[in-house]
Order: sequence, then C-alpha cells, then structure tokens
Amino acid sequence: MKIIACYSNKGGVGKTATSVNLAHALARDGQRVLLCDLDPQGAAGFYLRVKPSKNLKDDRFFKDVQRFTDAIRGSDHDRLDVLPANLSFRDFDVFLARMKNSRSRLKKALRAGGGDYDSVVLDCPPNISTLGESVFRAADAIVVPVIPTTLSERTFGQLLDFFRDNGLQKKKILGFFSMAQGTKTLHGQTMARMRAAYPKRLLDVVVPFASDVEKMGLHRAPVADFAPASVAAQAYDRLGRAVMARI
Amino acid sequence: MSARWFVVPGQRPLAALRALRIGSNRLHPAPQAADGPVVLFDTFDGQVAAAGRVLLGDARGLMLLGGPQGPVWQDPAVPGFVADMADGPVRAALGGIVSPLRRLCPIGEARLLRQPLALRDDLDKTRVRCDLLALDAGGRRAVALLRAQALRGYGPALARLAEGLHALGAVERLDAPGVIATLFPERQEQFARPAIAMAPDTTAFRVATDIIRAHIALARRTEPGIIDDIDSEFLHDHRVALRKVRSVLSLFKGVYGAAQTDDLKARFAALMTRTGRLRDLDVYLIERPAYLAMVPETVRPGLGLLFEAFAAERAAEHRDLSDHLQGDAHAREMRRLARLFDKPDARLVRGPMADRAAGDFARRLIWKRYRRVCAIAASIDDRTPDAQVHALRIQCKKLRYLLEFFAPMFPTAEVRPLIRALKKLQDVLGTFNDCAVQQAALAGRLQGLEAARGARKLEMAKGIGALLTVLDQRQRDARARVVASFAAFDAPATQAGFRALFKTAKASA
Repeated sequence: MKIIACYSNKGGVGKTATSVNLAHALARDGQRVLLCDLDPQGAAGFYLRVKPSKNLKDDRFFKDVQRFTDAIRGSDHDRLDVLPANLSFRDFDVFLARMKNSRSRLKKALRAGGGDYDSVVLDCPPNISTLGESVFRAADAIVVPVIPTTLSERTFGQLLDFFRDNGLQKKKILGFFSMAQGTKTLHGQTMARMRAAYPKRLLDVVVPFASDVEKMGLHRAPVADFAPASVAAQAYDRLGRAVMARI
Repeated sequence: MSARWFVVPGQRPLAALRALRIGSNRLHPAPQAADGPVVLFDTFDGQVAAAGRVLLGDARGLMLLGGPQGPVWQDPAVPGFVADMADGPVRAALGGIVSPLRRLCPIGEARLLRQPLALRDDLDKTRVRCDLLALDAGGRRAVALLRAQALRGYGPALARLAEGLHALGAVERLDAPGVIATLFPERQEQFARPAIAMAPDTTAFRVATDIIRAHIALARRTEPGIIDDIDSEFLHDHRVALRKVRSVLSLFKGVYGAAQTDDLKARFAALMTRTGRLRDLDVYLIERPAYLAMVPETVRPGLGLLFEAFAAERAAEHRDLSDHLQGDAHAREMRRLARLFDKPDARLVRGPMADRAAGDFARRLIWKRYRRVCAIAASIDDRTPDAQVHALRIQCKKLRYLLEFFAPMFPTAEVRPLIRALKKLQDVLGTFNDCAVQQAALAGRLQGLEAARGARKLEMAKGIGALLTVLDQRQRDARARVVASFAAFDAPATQAGFRALFKTAKASA
C-alpha cells in the first residue's frame, strides 16, 4: 500500500481537485484506491457526493480501526472508495498532541485501516502543523500543486526549507504546475525559473487552468467522469503515471 | 460485500422497481440496458438447476446465475461437455456441479432484458448497484431476478432496499428449478426423478405398479437422447430405469400372478439385453483416460489401438440400437407394456401378496434382505472364495433397491444414513466386481487376438496385458477392503437403525 499525500502549505491551489482526480486516475488505471479526506471542510467528499462521516469523531480516526474502516464509503466510480471528513477533523492537531508517538500515529492508522488498497490518497488541509508533519512522515509521495506565481514559488521554497530543517526526506516532494495559463507571461517565466531551481522536485506535468476542473463542483464528479477527453482529464492521467513512476 | 438476489414478482418488474420509495432513495435505471434472445442450458437431468444455478447463453457470452459469488461470465460458446468448454469462470463453476459424463443442452429459448439500476440518495449518490435480469419465454411465462450489491459502507441502504423489495412480495432465493419450471413448464416432467407417493396402507400391488409405470415412462424419455447420442448417461439412465422395473418384479414376490410375473420378467430382460453391449463399450470408453494413465507409457499405443477398436465397435453398436429404438417393434412393445401398467386393475393379474399393506410388506422384505446381507458378510474373511463376495454384492444391491423404493414411507432422516452406509460398502464391492468383469472381457479379447498376426496385434496384446495386471491389482485392493468395509457398515448405529425401522413384531417372534 502506497500513501500519496496531496499537500500544499498554500490554499486555493487546486489541492482537492488534484486529490480527487489523481485518485480517480489511479483507480481507472486498475488500482484499488482510498481517497482519505483529512480536510475538515470535507470538499473531497463533496466532490464525490459522499456525506460527512458521523461515527468517526474526535480521536477515533487514530484509535479505532473498526470505526475507521466502517466509515469508508464506496464512490460511484469503480475501485475508488472515500473516507469522508467531518468537522471534528479540525482538531486533529489537538488529538495528536495528546497522544504518544504522535508523529507516527497517522501512518499507523492509515496502514491499519487502508490495508485493502493499493494506494491511499490524502487530501490534506493547507498548513504545516502536527498533522502536516505526520503526513510528511507517513506519505511515500507528497504531491504539491504549484500555481506558477511568485507567491506559490515562495511557499514551495518554504516547504523544502522545512523538510531540510526537520530532517525529512525531500525526495518525497513531487511538485507539478497547477492552474497554469499558457497565455500569461508570468506563468511561463515562473515555470522556467522553478524548473531550473528544483529540477528533481518538479514533475514534468502541467495541469492547465481549465473550466472543466471548475465544473467538478457542478457535476460533483472527477473531471474524467464527465469530460474524459478534456485536456485537464488527460493531464491528471499523466500526473498519476508520473507519481507512480517515482514511488 | 456479497450480492443479494431477489425474485421480483409480477409481469412488469421494472415499473414496480422504479416506483419503489426507500426513504429519499430511489432506483434509477442506467442507460446501458440490453435486450435480446437467450438460450437456457442444462443437462438432461437438470444438474445445473439442482445446484441452484441457471446457465444462459447469448451472442455476448455465457452467464451462470446463482451461487455464492453471484453471476459469472465467459465468452460466447455453445456449452457441451464441461471438459470441452473453453477455460473461464463459467467453466470453472460448472466443473464443480456438472458430471463430466453429461452434456449441457439447450432447454429453451427466452428473451433476456438486462437493466442495470442504481439506488441513489438525495445527493444522487449511488448507494446500491442493481442488475435486473428479466427472462420472458412468452405467454406470460416470465421470471425477473434482481441482483443488489451495496457499495462499500452502504450496507444499511441495501438492508432498507431489501425490506422494500420484500414488501413488494420479492423473495430472496434464486430458486433455479422454479425458474425453469416457470419458463418451461414442459421441462418439469423431464427433469423430475420419479417421485412415487405411497403410504403404509397403500397396497403392495399399487406401489409396485406405480413404481414400474414411472420407470417405464422414464426409460421412454431417455430414448431420444440415446438415439441422438447426446451423452452416455441417457443409455445409463435408461438401463437403470429398466433394471429397477425388473427388481420390483423379482423382489416384490407374489404381488403379480406367477405367470404374469414370468412374462413381464422375460419381456423387460429382453429390452435390456438389446442395450448391454453398447453400455459395456461406453464404460470402456469413459474409462479410457484412467486406463491409459494406469499403464506404463510404453504400452499406451497398444492400448490406444484397443480403444480405437472399441470406438469403432461402439459406433456400429449405436447405429444398430438407434435403428432398433426407432423401429416399430420396439415402439409397439413399449406401448403395450405401458398400457398394462396404466390400467393395472383391468390388465394385470394379481398375486397372493397383492393386497398386503405396503408398510408391512416393505418392512418384511427389507429386514429379510438385511439379515441375508449380514449372514453372507459374516461368512467372509480374507480367504473366502470370490463367489461369496459376488453374492454379497448382489444382496446389497437388492437391499439398496428395496430401501430406495420404499424410502418415501419412512422418515428421510432415518433412512438416508442407512442408504449412505450401504452405498459405501457397495462402492468397494462394485469396484471389485467391475475389475473382475473387465478382466474377463479383456482376457476374451486377448484370446480373440491370438488367431491374428502382425505388429499391431502384438502391440494391442501388450497393452491388454498391462491393463489386466493393473485391473488385477485394483481388484485385489478392493478385495482387501471388503471385510473392513462390511465392518464399517455393520456399525451399531446402522444395526440399530435397520432394527428400529424394519424389524416387525412378527419377524422378531
């Protein structure tokens, strides 16, 4: 079982869209995939029409394997299951702080509850907290959507610094350009500069800014479900293959 | 989570399902419906249906319904013998339920509507996936099956759907024989093993006559299959049916008048004589792979020649028998025999035991035969001549027939273990006998070869010789197990079972 985290310390970069579409791409490729929504807003669950979990409250996520597995829901898409979030997930940092070995707790919970799957894709909330650190330790790959703007470039640098300062494995970080707009000069320049600066940390995948991705909220389905031939759907397929090639 | 199956009642199942309300959940038909002709397959004796399965075939593939894992699929093919089918999940499943000797044949045509449905909630999220399979054989003969499988985590939604379906009158069991009976009522009779109603106060005459009538009809039903050479079991069943008739005539002593009994015995014996050689050849050819595996590789080509000769002889024998079965003389004789038993009171001469109550009659016959089996067995040890073992085999066979004939009058739970115990003993005795008979026949064949010359004959002789050695060893092995097998049959529980069911006050006096 591989753990793939979709993470960014910056909000609004298409993280949830990435996790849903990446999970769907892996499932379409034949893997059994669990999309685990760690974000208390529950947007990943929303995209897949799965209601918030009712019985996986407080620290049960980390302590009660049975409730963890009972909370898993089959999506409408073959081989793709979802562990929906609920609002109590906002206190994950508090629960983790109270527990011994807090940094390895997430990995333990995912290994125990997600044993049926080839891949577990995590949709993470956007901060570097105890939960964030747990994610960094648990994941085999940390997929980071980067909008090619100055601000995103800065936060990507901050993330790499954090990894370096905390002795985390930088090679887990797999960035890719998200919501890229070919018509914008700034986007083109930023991508070129970042590729030169982080040649190993950036995948050769660009998911363009596309209205199809925005329509996911309307259809409440992955892009490839309602627009399989779209540029965005094909880009997420490439992202899936590129990530799998690295782990 | 495993799928649940429902039989949905009514002539318009899709409309009924669409109208179903499960809280805020509804069943929505998916666009991928398919509708087309389909053929149902089974063996002549309905082995697929008896195993709770239904085998369908159409242009898109073979589908096997029922079973713990739900339907399985395989590429299109006309099923025949399971061993000859292409590998796949359907073949694998059939391998466990269909005898290798039976050919799967079309039993009827219907239209099949396949309509996927989804039970969706207020967010339009699928909670349960369903597949409606509606079979329609025309003339309001229709069966609708619904397979329902919850997506992970939605077990409660499936439970509520099941409640809703139950309220519609749906039942949760794939009753395969029921499906066949509804779609093709005419097949019902063909599948059915003769079930003869009897009570302890039914007269012996009535019971004997009912058994014989049913078995004459069964023998008749197997004839088209023999003529078309569908599989070897048609002839086998034909012979078993006639043998049962003959054992009623010989075991139910005094039920018919003496002259009547002798006449009937002779006529049924004549019917069977006609089919004996073909059955022997069938048995050899069925055993071909086993025989070839038993002998060293060096003599296999010779044995192969022998089987070629058997196959050629069988083809000729089958032609002869087919002609005979289709001839006027055979049809006339069968008609005459059937007629006798259709109006027994007017046409059959009653014997002194005719009016005996069947219950008492059965107990006396079975107890007597059981005592005889025990007496012969008691005299057998490892050095007793083979003739005694053959005698034991014959007595066991008679006892088995009696138990089976009269079983409907006794509690199933008590009779079945006795039959099962007897069957185990019979298996050993049967092996012993088959080896003896086959050795005698092969030895005859060997002598027949002596007159001939040539390398081919020599090779055949070597093959036969090797086979004789193996059969002799097999026979010795079986012989060595006879004493222990009887000891197992003679267990206190079985003894007590026979005594409790069949020992009469009169017999014990």
